[in-house]
Amino acid sequence: MEKILDCLGEACPIPLVKAQKALEEMATGDILIVGIDHSCAMKNLPDWAREAGHNVEIDEIGEGEWDVVIEKS
Amino acid sequence: MEKSKKGIDLDSLLKKEWSYTTGAVLIALLATVLVLVVGKSWGVTGVFPFWGGVILEKIGVNADSWSIFNGKLSKFVFFKKFANITNVGIIIGAFIASLLAASFKIKMIKSFRQVVAAVIGGTLMGIGATLAMGCNIGGLFSGISALSLHGWVYLVFIFLGAIVGSSILKKWFM
Amino acid sequence: MSETTQTKIKRTGRRREAVKPEERKKKQLIQRIIGVIAVILVIFMAIFAQGINQKGAFIVLIGVGFGYVLQRSRFCLTAAIRDPFLTGGTELTKALIILLAVSSFLYMGINMAKFGLGLETLNLKLAAGYIKPVGLHTAIGAFLFGIGAVIAGGCASGTLMRIGEGFTQQWIAIIFFVTGTIIGKFLMPIVKKSSVLYTGKAIFLPSLFGGWLGAVIVHFGLLFALYIAADKWSRRKQK
Repeated sequence: MEKILDCLGEACPIPLVKAQKALEEMATGDILIVGIDHSCAMKNLPDWAREAGHNVEIDEIGEGEWDVVIEKS
Repeated sequence: MEKSKKGIDLDSLLKKEWSYTTGAVLIALLATVLVLVVGKSWGVTGVFPFWGGVILEKIGVNADSWSIFNGKLSKFVFFKKFANITNVGIIIGAFIASLLAASFKIKMIKSFRQVVAAVIGGTLMGIGATLAMGCNIGGLFSGISALSLHGWVYLVFIFLGAIVGSSILKKWFM
Repeated sequence: MSETTQTKIKRTGRRREAVKPEERKKKQLIQRIIGVIAVILVIFMAIFAQGINQKGAFIVLIGVGFGYVLQRSRFCLTAAIRDPFLTGGTELTKALIILLAVSSFLYMGINMAKFGLGLETLNLKLAAGYIKPVGLHTAIGAFLFGIGAVIAGGCASGTLMRIGEGFTQQWIAIIFFVTGTIIGKFLMPIVKKSSVLYTGKAIFLPSLFGGWLGAVIVHFGLLFALYIAADKWSRRKQK
């Protein structure tokens, strides 16, 4: 299953908190794609996801815009 | 990795984010240089009332006659107070950092909730910083760095405030 | 980060229309050029400032340096105080502790030279850093500041940094931040009249703990303990 979370324009902690909630309800192997444009989030979200043991990829799709792709593990 | 024809790794030089530890050490060094050069420690909000007063004067309000300014606004020279310069410098520095990394983007306000958060949060910070005689920089950072007790009190209570702020954020602003 | 991504994670489709690599390269180049122009303007600003303020050039460069480093390292002091409670993370909290440890160490060196090892020439007003009155007003002020910073999504330095990064929400935050300080300035005379809220006493840790050594042990000991605590906190919160 692939879920997309659009967090463009959201303030710092919101992408991470939303991602944490979303991943809780997902199964192993599911993929969560979080769209962000906050520089804090492009670091704290992947950092958290990696520490939680998930596979993480960061895709820069535009200037100041990223897709953080998290595969639940 | 994007490499220019000269073989310089532009991404590493200008784009890849630095570690938090690197940031911490560099900020401490910059602050120390500042205190050695200017004789006063880094602070952000000390000049804010004057910014407000100057703008009020420009729109026709006679703020200079207020008790809190008492004529000081007419003597306001931007480049004479170092904090004016460092504050604008932070804005410019962050601007340059994002541009050189090609990750600058204007993020428009998305919802009315964000406006309310900024209004309430900003006002609380302004009042809080004045009562505590410093913000997170002038009060917390420069206080603790000076081995001042008020810095430690600041540290304890700013965390307590953050706990309350976090629940408010979760409940009303998510 | 490459534009044509070969991710290890298999995705069913791109979330958004991928912008053509040539167009992206063009946009990036434009941003970088504007960035270089901004750097040149900073140099002019430094020269201009030097004409008005004897130390103007240094201050300009240091200020811009702060902004550059904060943005580049994604250093968010608000996240440092908020994340332990909101997301369970303490990376920035630990970084804040490192910042405070390094700066208080360097400032202490300066102050030891100024005041003497036996505090013979102690003068709080000449200290590196700010040794300000401590009282209930400090606690209340810091508490309100903490609430406000978390709600607004940025503290004093963070708000300025985010304005530079292009966040429009922070323009509102700073307007009300400034307003708040003006309100605060009206409140202060009233606060100072209350002996409960305000005592006017500034307390320097070495004076409190019988000299530099006592203060060093307590201060750096506490910072170290907080660092360990922050580290344990995030491990405990790992899901």
